[in-house]
Amino acid sequence: MRRQLAHLGIFLLGLCAVGAFLPGVALLTLNQHLFLALNVLALNFCLGLGGQASMATGAFCGLGAYASVILHALWPQGTLLIVPGVALGVYVLASAVSKPLEKLGEGFLAMATLCLCLIFHNLVLTFSGLTGGSNGMMVPVSPSLPLVGTLTGDRANFFALIALIALGGYLFLALRDSRQGRALMACKDDALAASSCGIDRLSTRALSFGIGGALSAMAGMVLANSTGFISPGQFDLGLSLKTLLFLVIGGPGRLIRPLAAVVALESLIAWFHQLGDATVLAHGLILAIALVAGFWRESGRARLLPR
Amino acid sequence: MLGLYLAQAVNSGLALGAVYGLMALGFALVYNSSRLINFAQGELLLLGGLVLFSVSQAFQLGPLTALLAAGAFGFALGHLLYASTLGVLLGAQPLRQLMLTVAASLIWQGAAILIWGKNPLKLDQFIALPAFRMGPLFLSANTLTSLALALASVATLSAFLTFTRTGRAIRAVSMNALAARLQGVNPVRAQALSFALSGMLAALAAMAIGPQTMLRYDMGFGLGLKGFVAATLGGYSSLSRVFAGGLALGVIEACLTLSFSADLKETLTYSLLVALLVFSPLERGRREKV
Repeated sequence: MRRQLAHLGIFLLGLCAVGAFLPGVALLTLNQHLFLALNVLALNFCLGLGGQASMATGAFCGLGAYASVILHALWPQGTLLIVPGVALGVYVLASAVSKPLEKLGEGFLAMATLCLCLIFHNLVLTFSGLTGGSNGMMVPVSPSLPLVGTLTGDRANFFALIALIALGGYLFLALRDSRQGRALMACKDDALAASSCGIDRLSTRALSFGIGGALSAMAGMVLANSTGFISPGQFDLGLSLKTLLFLVIGGPGRLIRPLAAVVALESLIAWFHQLGDATVLAHGLILAIALVAGFWRESGRARLLPR
Repeated sequence: MLGLYLAQAVNSGLALGAVYGLMALGFALVYNSSRLINFAQGELLLLGGLVLFSVSQAFQLGPLTALLAAGAFGFALGHLLYASTLGVLLGAQPLRQLMLTVAASLIWQGAAILIWGKNPLKLDQFIALPAFRMGPLFLSANTLTSLALALASVATLSAFLTFTRTGRAIRAVSMNALAARLQGVNPVRAQALSFALSGMLAALAAMAIGPQTMLRYDMGFGLGLKGFVAATLGGYSSLSRVFAGGLALGVIEACLTLSFSADLKETLTYSLLVALLVFSPLERGRREKV
């Protein structure tokens, strides 16, 4: 674990060094990549540890963002209670959702959680009086913390994202090396054998699903503060699909590679935005090449690629 | 008044339901033969419809030639999708295969944007049937055409899977790939053929929906998803039940649209799918393999 923590530290220090010198617009772009990286880390709890392919990332992330913005508008000084409260609420909700869905296999679980994402999206549109509907809503109040002050500006949000990735990474490694983590990996490898060894699969997997949901909600809170505006389009199916794609490309269960894959591939994809109408095609090609190359590397077909 | 509302719901529901039914059949074919949920199913419909649109602009197509052209393009597109997704990742983890179909869906959508642009395109109605009215029941020309097209496709597919050697091979692979292999069936070929048949069904679905709602670059994913809901509603096993699942979904959606807002209709439809997945009696072992 220490070695992995050291690797995480080096990775984050490298990001800090890059972020410290980046100008405003580029830092905003990096923040978007880090937001996605935090979501990938959140999903890694579900898929990497528990073996559950979830596409509800967009829903949990959006829930965190909307709840935080609405509660901060009602109680501007309550950051210290609102942030953990919303994270805890999403944890409880995600754990509760996980239990009936636990028995579904990877593909059907992905589709069921994808539906949860669509349900959230449509509910936001339906309750437009509270959420602003398709027009979205402005973020009137930024969170403020004692000693740190109000979190405004791209740099403050950058360091908030780095801190959350560090916290999430530590939690991931600590959980993986714990008794619960070994139980989770047993469920992932062979659910039936895990059950016959006395592991309570529902509760064990609800833990990883809940932590993943809570971390996504926190990512949503930072995104809302960073962009100053939230709309359902920011938390749609695209976010869930991208998160799952990057985790599959980086390797579920690994810590650094999925995060590095997000930063590298997202930068590449962002560069391709200048292609205009060809952007979607370029995105698809990049992701397909990454998926096929990953499979060839793992199966030893492409000996030149690092394993 | 209520009767009129219901008649309208049945009319529009059956028109969309026929398309959902065809998409659901494609989903079920691919899922049963390869245990893969094909995210690019909707793009098969989109590309099939757009290619037919271009051909119809260049040549005068009669009903029969349009049907043959749609079937042939759909078959080729389905085979191409197989060759670029499951065919490349044979033996990979199911999740990686699933994600490659997501990437393929992006690629195909991107190709559609580049070639046909982002504006909606209206496909001609190649098979024009007259509207039907019997008491309060009313079926418009579009609905009747969609239903006829879909029912004929189901009957032909059913006959192919029941009476031909290749069809029986596909069914054998769906039931037990290992046993089928021991009997001399090539499972990979059966999987490729399932993709091709599902492409054919999607292209026929495009013929049904193109004149009603027009073809747009971003329509594939939503329709594919509705096909998945319909296939789950029908239980994946029998062709007629899967198709009936599509019809039922279309009518339920139309009733919900009349009763609630469009957003709430979507919420209720997807809630229904989650409930179905959690509570349906779909064979547990099968689900866990996916």
